[in-house]
Amino acid sequence: MVQRKRAVTLAVLLLLQLLLYPMADVSAGDTGKSESLKTDTAEQQALEETDQDDLVVPDPLEPFNRLAFEFNDRLYFWILKPVARLYSYVMPEDLRMLVDNFFRNSTAPVRIVNNILQGKLEGAGVELARFGINSTIGLAGLADPAKKDFHLEEKDEDFGQTLGYFGIGHGFYIVWPVIGPLTFRDSIGRIADAFLDPFFYLEDDWLRISVWGADEINSASLHIGDYESIKKSALDPYISIQDAYIQTREREVNR
Amino acid sequence: MKIKGICLILVTMLFIIKPVCSFAEDSPLLSIKETVDGVLDILRDPGLKSVEKRETRREKLRSLVYARFDFEEMSRRAVGRYWRKFSSEEKGEFIHLFGKMLERSYIDKIESYTDERVEYLSEKIDGQYSVVKTMIVKRNGLEIPIQYKLILKNGEWRVYDVLIEGVSLVSNYRSQFRSILRRNPPEHLLRKLREKTAKKVDAVKR
Repeated sequence: MVQRKRAVTLAVLLLLQLLLYPMADVSAGDTGKSESLKTDTAEQQALEETDQDDLVVPDPLEPFNRLAFEFNDRLYFWILKPVARLYSYVMPEDLRMLVDNFFRNSTAPVRIVNNILQGKLEGAGVELARFGINSTIGLAGLADPAKKDFHLEEKDEDFGQTLGYFGIGHGFYIVWPVIGPLTFRDSIGRIADAFLDPFFYLEDDWLRISVWGADEINSASLHIGDYESIKKSALDPYISIQDAYIQTREREVNR
Repeated sequence: MKIKGICLILVTMLFIIKPVCSFAEDSPLLSIKETVDGVLDILRDPGLKSVEKRETRREKLRSLVYARFDFEEMSRRAVGRYWRKFSSEEKGEFIHLFGKMLERSYIDKIESYTDERVEYLSEKIDGQYSVVKTMIVKRNGLEIPIQYKLILKNGEWRVYDVLIEGVSLVSNYRSQFRSILRRNPPEHLLRKLREKTAKKVDAVKR
């Protein structure tokens, strides 16, 4: 009896859904009066979307941030890009991918700890397994057999995201010279995460800076053209990058 | 007994209605696949690669992109609440210029992906809205997720937003337009768009 009742409910629901679906279809295809009605609702939706979905992070330092942005822009075009270009002539792309994997693997402790802090034990487990597999079979993290052979996808978490997970907002927007765009919260996060980066504990300052520089140049060599294309399609590159950064961080915290 | 009868009728009706529904329009995923594959075919066509053929190629690409992208919907969403401040002529010009700009940056972007593989992952339909997830896999293995948001208009699925690595193109433009329109009239934004789109033509000529 119960089963039968459930079957009927299910059938009615299905039918309702199917009946309503073509109706929405017809009204969408209609012209004239319903067309203008539809435009109105679309307009309303667009407006609602503006008010609800758009996260606007305060930017009280905008004049300074724009200066730092300009500085970073020149740093990229005058130094980082030419160096990365030169480097990519010497190093084949396959090798640069291995170097990228190596640096990615070295920051696994950051991801493991932040997964744990957010109670994401599965994520922590996956990251721990990835770290173990890639550090050994993957030859100190140069290769990524964890993904290729074990289908373990990276579960990226950092301390900025952990703070966000506990309800702490972005704070205001900051463009740091050399480092780039961050929010106040993510700046704190960056500092905290540095303590989990093994290279942070290198005794020699020059060695530490060289390692950091190598990571930057290698990563830039794999992404030449990305910043250029953002800049080219933007009306105001400063705002475009700011919005892309906030959208990305918001998504990372809420996933 | 009665219930069984009703069930039977309902089930029969399901079978009658269902095919009618699915014939109403192409699926959003197939629509995207058709357009993206079409664009890639044109880009890979060796007969269209020469310099003399460049205009023909652009023209072909343009017609494909304009058929799938709903630049009016995109414009309205990208301007958001300030759209009411635009006169109908201003709206018309804005749609034209913004479309031109989007078309160029979309084609530029996809032009750099000609050697890459495109995977069509999934589609999700919610009434007259849908999301299609695709993934661009570069030769070096790097993956770039691209999502298309579509709206059903006159039985056709048309794109009103593109998310590249999770960043919405329309929201990104909206934040740029907002920062201009907050202090300036629509004409000011139009002037900037005119400059931007004109500059790009020069760059292509050179």
